Amino acid sequence: MRPQLFIRKRPFPAIAAIILVLLLSACAKREEPLYQQQLLTFGTLLEISIWGADKRLAQQASSQIGADLQQMHNDWHAWHDSPLTRMNQALSAGAPVTVPASILPLVQKSVALSRASEGLFNPAIGRLIKLWGFEQDDLPSGPPPSPAAITALTKQQPGMNDLILDGNQLRSTNPAVQLDFGAIAKGYGVDLAIARLRELGIQNAIINAGGNLRAIGKHGDRPWRIGIRNPRGEGVLASIETRGDESILTSGDYERFYDYQGKRYHHIIDPRSGYPATGAISVTVIADDAATADAASTALFVAGPQRWREIAKKLGIMQVMLIDGKGRVAVTPAMAKRVRYEIDLSPKVTVVPLS
Amino acid sequence: MTRADAVVVALALALLPYLYLTYWGLSTQGEEVRIMVGGKEQMAVSLHQDRRLDIEGELGSSIIDIHNGKARFTASPCRGKQCIHTGWLGHGGESAACLPNRVSMVVVGREQRFDSVVF
Repeated sequence: MRPQLFIRKRPFPAIAAIILVLLLSACAKREEPLYQQQLLTFGTLLEISIWGADKRLAQQASSQIGADLQQMHNDWHAWHDSPLTRMNQALSAGAPVTVPASILPLVQKSVALSRASEGLFNPAIGRLIKLWGFEQDDLPSGPPPSPAAITALTKQQPGMNDLILDGNQLRSTNPAVQLDFGAIAKGYGVDLAIARLRELGIQNAIINAGGNLRAIGKHGDRPWRIGIRNPRGEGVLASIETRGDESILTSGDYERFYDYQGKRYHHIIDPRSGYPATGAISVTVIADDAATADAASTALFVAGPQRWREIAKKLGIMQVMLIDGKGRVAVTPAMAKRVRYEIDLSPKVTVVPLS
Repeated sequence: MTRADAVVVALALALLPYLYLTYWGLSTQGEEVRIMVGGKEQMAVSLHQDRRLDIEGELGSSIIDIHNGKARFTASPCRGKQCIHTGWLGHGGESAACLPNRVSMVVVGREQRFDSVVF
């Protein structure tokens, strides 16, 4: 009873005390639960966001991931002297080669995803990629390679089917095969980085390696919010809230390209024609892991507006958004439920089932 | 009300403007862009003051313009100009980088509209 009497009789000191306590609690320094770090590693801009972990642990985790990814970058480099380039030399000589442990999972995943995508995701076209010059850190500025040089490579039809993998022994029946994991390695690296975070006890995080993103857990009491870049113009076209553990990943013609005599040449090469794929300008997929999402977004980009649904079905990817050269947006029903458009393009969106 | 009460109330009232600025004021004008060279933060600059920054990277100078609450790469010593193609960044979570010159930037706001952006 006493406190009540106290308040009734002398309200001002009590109110003042309450205000003061509130003020003091607001001034108390709380540790920011979100840790964000940007690193230049893995040949790209790596963004790490960690929610709710001890700051020292988050720092330790991000420097560990930076080092892990740099090591992968060195191992998987397709043109600097690396375990991969040494492997490629043996493959073109037709000699059997022992696949290093760090590369073996990439080969295995690539074979499976290439088959499921009917060869539209094709890491065996290293020579074509090199001919175009898109493998370098600094982009080429043109002119594009000569049609004769391109045909000389495409008619040899290098593909993952030419590889014979027995345990960790690899051999190629086609000397034109040169492996370049550019369309899957970053995704796979992101998967390994997420595994590393979990090992360290981190449950809520985003790893975004140059647009190859996978998120786990949440941002406090809300889901992570991921923006998808507008392929033409600036800023964000749409956003997606993540659900638990998943990868959201976009392949676009605006990521790496050059203009030559008024024509755009971008980095997603169609293995059939040997030229940059036409038809789509951006494909976004949601998948369980980033390696699959990376390879699938490339395959669907190459498949283009005509064939993407068929290939998505074969790859088992149910959540897709494809934007064509006229800016028309096509989404699968499962994707339509997830996407929130941040700019007004509602009249141009069509929802199309996969079958 | 005793004199002590009056003092406490006066103190509380005096604190209000400070709290307002700290917890409300910055949410409307506190957005900034963080600029990094080689992954190390060089500076954090408000997006609400138009200016041109000259950032020295590995190859030379990257020019970053800040205008109307947005930031962009305007000139760069790299060949590909991917950083310039990225265009204006205005929302929290948007980022751009010039890998050859090792210069990158990310927009941060008090209320991040996006936690990360795929491109």
